[in-house]
Amino acid sequence: MYGGDEVSAIVIDLGSHTCKAGYAGEDAPKAVFPSVVGSIDHIEANNDVKSEKESESASDSKNGVKPLDSDKPKAKRKLYVGSQALGYRRDHMEVISPIKDGVVVDWDIVDNIWDHAFRERLLIDPKEHPMLLAEPSCNTPQQRERAAELMFENYKVPALFLAKNAVLTSFASGRATSLVVDSGGGSTTVTAVHDGYVLQKAAAKSPIGGEFLTECMMKSLESKGIVLKPRYSFKRREIRSGEFQTIDLDFPNTTESYKLYSQRVIASDVKECVCRVPDTAFDETAYANVPMTSYELPDGQTIEIGADRFKIPDVLFNPSLAQMILGMESFADSAAPVRGLPQMVIESINKCDVDIRRELFSSILLAGGTASMQQLKERLEKELMEEAPQAARVKVLASGNSIERRFSVWIGGSILASLGSFQQMWFSKAEYEEHGVSYIQRKCP
Amino acid sequence: MEAVVVDAGSKLLKAGFAAPDQDPALIIPTKMKRVVEDGEPADSSAVEEVTVDPVVRGFIRDWDAMEDLLRHVLYTSLGWEVGEEGQILFTDPLSTPKAVREQLVQLMFETFNVSGFYASEQAVLSLYAIGRISGCTVDIGHGKIDIAPVCEGAVQHIASKRFEIGGIDLTNLLAQELHKSNPSVIIDISEVEKLKEQYACCAEDQIAFEEMRNSCQKEQHTLPDGQVITIERERYIIGEALFQPSILCLEEYGIVEQLVRSISSVSSENHRQLLENIVLCGGTASMIGFEERFQKEANLCSSSVRPSLVKPPEYMPENLSKNSAWMGGAILAKVVFPQNQHVTKADYDETGPSIVHKKCF
Repeated sequence: MYGGDEVSAIVIDLGSHTCKAGYAGEDAPKAVFPSVVGSIDHIEANNDVKSEKESESASDSKNGVKPLDSDKPKAKRKLYVGSQALGYRRDHMEVISPIKDGVVVDWDIVDNIWDHAFRERLLIDPKEHPMLLAEPSCNTPQQRERAAELMFENYKVPALFLAKNAVLTSFASGRATSLVVDSGGGSTTVTAVHDGYVLQKAAAKSPIGGEFLTECMMKSLESKGIVLKPRYSFKRREIRSGEFQTIDLDFPNTTESYKLYSQRVIASDVKECVCRVPDTAFDETAYANVPMTSYELPDGQTIEIGADRFKIPDVLFNPSLAQMILGMESFADSAAPVRGLPQMVIESINKCDVDIRRELFSSILLAGGTASMQQLKERLEKELMEEAPQAARVKVLASGNSIERRFSVWIGGSILASLGSFQQMWFSKAEYEEHGVSYIQRKCP
Repeated sequence: MEAVVVDAGSKLLKAGFAAPDQDPALIIPTKMKRVVEDGEPADSSAVEEVTVDPVVRGFIRDWDAMEDLLRHVLYTSLGWEVGEEGQILFTDPLSTPKAVREQLVQLMFETFNVSGFYASEQAVLSLYAIGRISGCTVDIGHGKIDIAPVCEGAVQHIASKRFEIGGIDLTNLLAQELHKSNPSVIIDISEVEKLKEQYACCAEDQIAFEEMRNSCQKEQHTLPDGQVITIERERYIIGEALFQPSILCLEEYGIVEQLVRSISSVSSENHRQLLENIVLCGGTASMIGFEERFQKEANLCSSSVRPSLVKPPEYMPENLSKNSAWMGGAILAKVVFPQNQHVTKADYDETGPSIVHKKCF
């Protein structure tokens, strides 16, 4: 139906933290941007925003904008998508995420995100490209149907396929059977894939992901008295050559959510630069004298980070450690008993058939942004070897390149969509019109 | 015969045979005048001339006009002969859609019958022109601004940014400002363009700009049609617009801030290398005082690593920053074509236009 080379499919992976989009056949996505959006609600700030709107109409074409009508009393909002639009501080702009607990709650925002990816980042017309969407491994049928409906009705794509994240990661490493540990922004999922199909009963999920670790980092820095100044809140000036002075700027109309978002961006950069997974379980006393690493914040402040470098990543293995960080005590009450990573892996494998357990143990794949932390692979292997049954050979695989680990779901999609043998499996527009949206359950297992 | 290098910008088309230490042989405006003749022979005087821009904001939009323009450039000016076409290297801006690239390859092989083709991104070529393979290019052109961090010859697409503002918006701004201060004078847009190139400059820093608004020297300029206009603070407003886009009514941060943000999205081990090798290129970057202002603002944004702009090597000609993409293309052409890494006619016949994505990156 569609030649593998001539018409390039587009692969989109909408995660809880970043959205990755690009052409199939390439080795990295072209468009990577946050999957949160800024929204200005026009009911709240009607009067002073009205005059802003007139001057903003010149820049309308640059933002993912919903046409708004200020005369209607309904709460219409203006959405700002993408790291450029989101990075600019605006009055009354709230930061909202369309995904809660892995489930899409606001399809309007998802629509805007896709629109931004197609028209402003990739510069393509969705009518001409088949789409491969990556979906969470335990997606409900209603969500799939909704996504398919949105794609076919709004974007009029010629063909669509929904593939599960775990399966795509598996393909990216060239295996049909593996245990995928996907540690992304919002959560960590452990899924077993056998012969290209996800074993639903063996899936395990935990709310500890990159965002949670960033939250721990932020609280830890706050408790040490370090104030993270968002980039928009200061200006630097050179008094004498080589000497700089930071002047605080005050923007009273900035929302709390935007301030938190900007601080999180800085905290997550700190986390990515300095954190390392410790070789053994974290022990307060053992790491009390570890040498400090310094990090320069955007406002010029240099901070020293010592034991936190190892404490925060260890939360993945030992979630109860999070309670020891000041400000995170509420965590214990909110979540159900959360298991660490090795326990989740063992649990997941034990739910599978006895025959495939051996194979799963020897092909454990790491994927996701948080999984690209240093030393994670070695530590996980070590912990699993202690807990696994004696006969099993434990092998944790992760590509050496951190870019490949971050985007392994996307890369798997890129490989899948460019295979010659895949071209007959697309769910085409004709089939959608003939059989309706529920046909997708049969076409995309 | 040498390969031909073509850099089709939104305003100027640079073309010539690949001779790396010389300026491009041909620099012509990327504009075509289409003469629309009326069908009926009775009204023979109704002849309209329409100006067509084949390249808009960096991308080729009008393929027919582009074809005519290239025909003129290749056959008439550069002296190719029909039946004996040589090899050609094209430059692309950032985020060129795949379809545009494929169409260009198709045009080249089917209409022009070239023997070899290669396409490369302008950001990488600008770095080659100054002798580096890693660094951050800030290409401020007529139709767009591209900020691209490049590591070891590979553009980091994830961190690169493209803005739909450029010299053309500055020209419009100047026209607006001049109209405000000289309301009785009507100036043609091409005249405003020349005025911009002659007079635009950048203030030393933001404080100096604020002072300039209140008091600065007036200059009188006589237009070709005899009218006299005064130019005073408009010159600085143009220079400031890139550092404070709110002047252009855009909700963006200034160009230096965008550069620093872009670099910080690349993995941290490359930060130092990128910040220490910043290349400014493009016509608008040759404004008086632009580089100094850029350096000053960059120092404010990052203090642990001192950002520095790269100076072009001495053996390169004067106007390097305006033509750096072309020169980089000339350097690359000397490497790619002799080593047969380009797309040949045989490859194209066998695989079709999509071969360009595999062979050229």
